[in-house]
Amino acid sequence: MLTAIPTRRTFLQAGAALLASTALPTLARAQAASAGGRLIVAADSEPKNLNPAIVASNGVFFVASKVIEPLAEASFEGKDGLSPRLATAWEGSEDGLSVTFKLRAGVTWHDGKPFTSADVAFSALSVWKPLQNLGRIVFANLETVETPDAATAVFRFSKPTPLQLIRNALPVVSSVIPKHLYEGTDIAANPANVQLVGTGPFRFAEYKPGEYYRLTRNDAYWGKPQPNLDEIVFRVLPDRAGAGAALEAEEIQLAAFSAVPLTDLDRISRVPGIKVITKGYEALTYQLVVEINHRRKELADLKVRQAIAHAIDRKFVVDTIFLGYAAASTGPVPKNAPEFYDADVPTYDFDVAKANALLDEAGYAKDADGKRFSLKLRPAPYFNETRQFGDYLRQALAAVGIDAEIVNADSAAHQKAVYTDHDFDLAVAPPVFRGDPAISTTILVQSGIPAGVGFSNQGGYANAELDAVIAKAAETIDTARRTELYRQFQKLVAADLPLINVAEWGFITVARDSVLNVASNPRWAVSNWADTALQG
Amino acid sequence: MRTMRRLLATPEGAVGLALLACLALVALFAPVLSPGDPLRIAGRALTTPFSDPAFPLGTDRLGRDVLAGLIHGARTSLAVGLAAAAAALAMGLCVGLAAGFAGGLLDEALMRMVDAFQIVPGFLLALAFVSVVGPSVPVVVLAIALGAWADPARLTRAQVLSVRERDYVAAARVAGMHPVEIAVREILPNVLPPVLALSAIIVAAAILTEAALSFLGLGDPNVVTWGSMIAEGRNVLRSSPWLSIFPGIALVLTVVGVYLLGEGLTRALSGRRAAA
Amino acid sequence: MAGRPEGGATDALPTAHKSAAGGMNRALRLIARRALASIPVLLIVVVLTFLLLETAAGDAVDAYLLSIGGGDASVAQSLRAAYGLDQSMPARLWLYLSSLARLDLGWSVAFDRPVRDLIVERLPNTLLLMGSATALSFGLGSALGILAGARPGSFRDRALSTVSLVLYAIPSFWLGLVLSIVFAVQLRWLPTSGIETIASGRTGLARAVDIAVHLALPVGTLALIYMALFLRVMRAGMAEVWGMDFVLFARSKGLSRMRIVLRHVARNALLPLVTMLGLQAAAMLGGSVVIESIFAIPGFGRLAQEAVSGRDTALLTGIIVTSAVLVIAVNLLVDIVYALLDPRVGATERGA
Repeated sequence: MLTAIPTRRTFLQAGAALLASTALPTLARAQAASAGGRLIVAADSEPKNLNPAIVASNGVFFVASKVIEPLAEASFEGKDGLSPRLATAWEGSEDGLSVTFKLRAGVTWHDGKPFTSADVAFSALSVWKPLQNLGRIVFANLETVETPDAATAVFRFSKPTPLQLIRNALPVVSSVIPKHLYEGTDIAANPANVQLVGTGPFRFAEYKPGEYYRLTRNDAYWGKPQPNLDEIVFRVLPDRAGAGAALEAEEIQLAAFSAVPLTDLDRISRVPGIKVITKGYEALTYQLVVEINHRRKELADLKVRQAIAHAIDRKFVVDTIFLGYAAASTGPVPKNAPEFYDADVPTYDFDVAKANALLDEAGYAKDADGKRFSLKLRPAPYFNETRQFGDYLRQALAAVGIDAEIVNADSAAHQKAVYTDHDFDLAVAPPVFRGDPAISTTILVQSGIPAGVGFSNQGGYANAELDAVIAKAAETIDTARRTELYRQFQKLVAADLPLINVAEWGFITVARDSVLNVASNPRWAVSNWADTALQG
Repeated sequence: MRTMRRLLATPEGAVGLALLACLALVALFAPVLSPGDPLRIAGRALTTPFSDPAFPLGTDRLGRDVLAGLIHGARTSLAVGLAAAAAALAMGLCVGLAAGFAGGLLDEALMRMVDAFQIVPGFLLALAFVSVVGPSVPVVVLAIALGAWADPARLTRAQVLSVRERDYVAAARVAGMHPVEIAVREILPNVLPPVLALSAIIVAAAILTEAALSFLGLGDPNVVTWGSMIAEGRNVLRSSPWLSIFPGIALVLTVVGVYLLGEGLTRALSGRRAAA
Repeated sequence: MAGRPEGGATDALPTAHKSAAGGMNRALRLIARRALASIPVLLIVVVLTFLLLETAAGDAVDAYLLSIGGGDASVAQSLRAAYGLDQSMPARLWLYLSSLARLDLGWSVAFDRPVRDLIVERLPNTLLLMGSATALSFGLGSALGILAGARPGSFRDRALSTVSLVLYAIPSFWLGLVLSIVFAVQLRWLPTSGIETIASGRTGLARAVDIAVHLALPVGTLALIYMALFLRVMRAGMAEVWGMDFVLFARSKGLSRMRIVLRHVARNALLPLVTMLGLQAAAMLGGSVVIESIFAIPGFGRLAQEAVSGRDTALLTGIIVTSAVLVIAVNLLVDIVYALLDPRVGATERGA
């Protein structure tokens, strides 16, 4: 705040902030002015490759998004849910074969070189399309990128590609990296993948493995006078109980991505000086899903799948496992994506009697012990909640006479067992909805995906009708018609249950009261934090 | 029986035995004391202890009965501890007997193997083994045994070496007994007591190791153990401390009991040796 | 954590203590002989570790793809080729062993750095943690052990023995969590985690103090548990020595009790304690895994966990081999100390 004790530094920064508040209307609306300072944040993992252009995952974005920027970021109030970053405008052609981006002028890389359309063209053709986990889907048909001038990039596709998809994917797939550092090198092994160089509000200063990442203010940021902070430090705290304790002891000021366990939120929210924030993850919706191996003859029977859907008490899952910080799912698209979401789909109420009746109908009667058949259940180990849901599901299935044996494995073994070896009957997975069903959602039910692709349909499910809808939507340019196809997609999935969507959740941020402008956009934790500030 | 009486005469032995007898009874009669699956979701989540007569010790995160968990946990925790110790002793005895009795190159090779297992941190080994093979009760047991068999192997071999040249063994050899028969009939009975005294420590360590593995998320999810209860409880350690305190107390009591028994046993045995 | 065996091996340590007058030459010969003898042992360790990870479900590439949110089969294929994971198992084992022979620990797939660098970076933290914990528990444990063993059977003896037994039975992770809540969160006397204040720019003495403050809780946790062990061994050793002839002789000469306790009883009881130190070296290194995880100390234990979850064969093997070498070195040191401490030349008996 401006009333801070006026040391020389805070005085100067307060001056800058004052200037800013008159210069930038958005900042004037923001919560308060800043006094610079160092923000210390809990981090629970240390990605080996920190380059968001190659690895488009939230673990990487958490740190890297402050240094390397996308063409556009998600926004609560902007047109189409976007606010411009390195691109200022974008337009698709009628035929869906090209998209033209107008790029921001006067942007420089952290090493002082100017940012131009050549960087965008290089990133798209040499990194996003061939190397990036999600970019290879979104830009599958990208042929060339033309750069008529330094501020224009024209993406040309070999097949019609919906602008809606490109737009929805922009925040995730379009991190631009400097051509002059990557061209002619082995991109995957470039040292700049760790010592990041970008255009963002913060520079990558230092990484001490096992201890911290340190980012410092980029004084030449195009969004001057932002950023408000002098420094961001990501402190590595691998133990799940660590973040809460460190927050209380005032060793860190912010823990995102539910680093403070849900069960501790109620208590910690009552600690003076600490706030619990549930906003800021609207575009990062995780879905709790039961994956089904349709190679098991029992599970290939729709009645059995319906019975399982009826056996799950979604209210218990939401209220007890997620302690209310989640919503029950109706289908493969979450409610947080209103553009696509369709509530008018077949639903499955919690009804043990009905589940039992369906199983009887399917011809799997209970034996003397009350068991119908046995299954192997593999809960994904990535979250407390996926494991707990595994424990719950075992009990819920027992109530309808299905004997599930839980097989726990660590991440690598789980990945191999489910997505490569298909050694499961049921699995609990937490896929992410990334703004458009075509990015990482349709792949969960589509047929013909080779073994070994993580977070995809590896349950041997094949439905020609569903495949046709997915294929049609992928090449439909018209936004309204495309959206309609995805509504159809949701109905088909909810009716035939290739997998069972149980709940959807966003994460929770816990911060000291002194941290301002938290959750200012729907991807806040993985956005650039230029407007984040510290009070006092 | 003499050993038993001596054991009871030592305060350590008496207390240890009493503690373990109680636990063994609870473990044996777990299905009677608390029928049904202890992992069943039985009531409202996070009921505080002593507030609901249906759940005297409260319920956990998902509404599972803590008392049922403790009772059934006694079963699995003791079973894991005993099984791991039994496996370690069996492996150790076999290797030690073979090495000590055969001598020569086989002895050399086996002892290098023992060295290898002794210089690798046992917990690291168990951690790697369980993560790689996947957590289930038999795997956890084997992992703990792998880190614990080297000591009994060494001890056995040393004992074999010390009794092997004694008269009755030499006599058996002269009489043309098969070496394996000599090992089992003449040497094993002499070797067993000191090795068994070591076993108490292995059981105690095994129970603690299982708890630590569960703490790191490497326990069998289909059964309840005290370690897994503590691991689950640690996330709510601040708001619902009882969830980790009750199984913690059970764990400490058991380890203390096993340890005291071991100490009593050592004293009783050394008394016998001194008397002999 | 794993294995807190007391007593145990009677011939775990070869016979260096047979002569107290160990000249420089003899020490060197001992070291050389030990080094030679440990080669086959280390080879066994390497091969077994390698085989263990070989049987694992999922390899380093699976683990990596998972961490980036998935990738298709062609990426996996090209990554496997890049890391040489597509070669046959014996070929990779041979490659690893031959590079190990050149003292090259290989390349960590999970971190994309040389294994040696990673180990050199993390080892000091663990050594500091374990070293301080050992020193503290050894000092405190033997002192309290002397207190308890000075009058076997007294109230003081019983109280100390009981407390130590309970401490010894508490799981280290539980003790660590509770101590951290009390001293770091409630009282705020000490930091919750980490090895030093992050990016503080401290140097010299200020940095040393900072590290010491950060290590207080983890060292305290480990020391409390191992102190119990040393206390019990010391006490037991003293109780045994009290009955021996030379003590009875000293008592009959009318020496003061204090003098007997310190000069005769404690000194002899110290020997099994030193042996215990060697025997426990491996267990203590293993015990650091959990403590490092709770207190966020970037040490060896955590590195091992990361190596396992990343299916990083080279790294895990490197860690295990380094630990094994450490344990061998500690035992060598213990032997030398033992030889210096043992007043009985050619003594054959060693209480354990």
